Amino acid sequence: MVVTGQDRKELMLRIINLAESVIKSGVDPFDVDVKEFFERLRAILPKLRDSDELNLDIDAVLGLANIIFHQGESIRFKSSLLYLDPLLIMWKIRSLSSKELAGVLTSSWHPIVDMESITPHGIKESMDYWTNLPSFGDRARLDSTEVLPEEMEFQELARLGILSKEEFVSAIERAWGELKEKADGGEISYWDFINAKTFEETISRAWIVSFLVSYGYATIDVKPLEEEIFLKPLPKPMKLERVTTFSVPISISRSEWQRRRKHG
Amino acid sequence: MAEEKDVADLREKVARAAQLLLFRRHMQPGVKAWELKRDLGRNYLEVIKVLDDELGKLGLTVKKVEGGEEGSDSDRYFVTMRGHPAVSEARTFGWRIDDMAILSVVLSYILSKQGKAPLKEVERVLEEKFPRWKVEQDIDRFIRRGYLEEDDEGVLYIGWRTRAEVDQKALLGLLLGREKVVEEKVKPEGSPEVGENEREAEEDVQ
Repeated sequence: MVVTGQDRKELMLRIINLAESVIKSGVDPFDVDVKEFFERLRAILPKLRDSDELNLDIDAVLGLANIIFHQGESIRFKSSLLYLDPLLIMWKIRSLSSKELAGVLTSSWHPIVDMESITPHGIKESMDYWTNLPSFGDRARLDSTEVLPEEMEFQELARLGILSKEEFVSAIERAWGELKEKADGGEISYWDFINAKTFEETISRAWIVSFLVSYGYATIDVKPLEEEIFLKPLPKPMKLERVTTFSVPISISRSEWQRRRKHG
Repeated sequence: MAEEKDVADLREKVARAAQLLLFRRHMQPGVKAWELKRDLGRNYLEVIKVLDDELGKLGLTVKKVEGGEEGSDSDRYFVTMRGHPAVSEARTFGWRIDDMAILSVVLSYILSKQGKAPLKEVERVLEEKFPRWKVEQDIDRFIRRGYLEEDDEGVLYIGWRTRAEVDQKALLGLLLGREKVVEEKVKPEGSPEVGENEREAEEDVQ
């Protein structure tokens, strides 16, 4: 059989890729016929012409050696007490409810116990901050004028051409549907719901949520002690004539958003 | 007289070991073996054994997680609960039932795949039961907390916190129904409610 340079290269690259698949993608190492590949490499070895081909040959041999190593690891794992058929595990995962799965975790869970503490350096830094902080009276005398944020009505946005009525209604409906799905019959943390990849998108979601609550699509529950805010979607929009309403100001700064993105 | 001095010395070392293990001094909780050796001396394992006995009275234990080769200085020691929390109790730590269920699925799946599985594959399994946004959010959180590790190739591994906190063999056994899921919290040492099987499942401090 005539083997061209291209065939030789393809064979060696195929072996290298296979070895990478075994290492990285969890392909069963026993699916690779190592002996046959070694025989084919041996057959083409005398025909290798240049250093590139020889380098590829070395990589291919190393790849096969790696596959043998993983075969050994696989045998060791399968003979250990921890080995269970992945298909059996998948079947059990599918058949158990969330509560049962949670019970499986907690029954094998021994959480770490530790306490956070402050170092002497941290105490000194806090003391310096407090000592150097201007008094409340001094701070009040700073030359600045506080401008309170104002609410922009939907009509105003429509007048400015930013949002049409149809777009607005569909945005509300979309958000309501998403909220119902995420709350899954219960409630969901306000921050979890509005949290998005960008600060602008987060603000946009918070804005839509304010209408969801104002128009009776959802209720908002503020728990000051836990410092948590929960949203609960209503199955049908509630008419607000007979309900006592109140405003909940929620400040969302970029730094707060970044902190929540970082800490989850 | 010499004996009294030894006892006082040991007590001091046990107290020091408790401080080292319980107060977090780094980003991660726990203390490395070389730090214990440095602060408690060469016989630090004996001190840890005494501390473990004392902590047992409070329902806690000292857990060792191997860092590499056996007897390595990079082994890490943690204080963990001796028993386990009930589902209802775990909810008071800020864990939702679906968060616990997702971690249970991820760990079981990775363990059944020899300790590593591609992220995409894990997400596909989870999305059969949970919404996509929840899956992504929880996996990110578990990686941040150390329950999972992810490499540059997008492969998930068991993280340091799982090795410290989760009895992996029991997890798989419970999943397959070979062991019983216990709802009640295991009481501290000395309590008659503590099951023998559970006690045996605990890893002894060497």
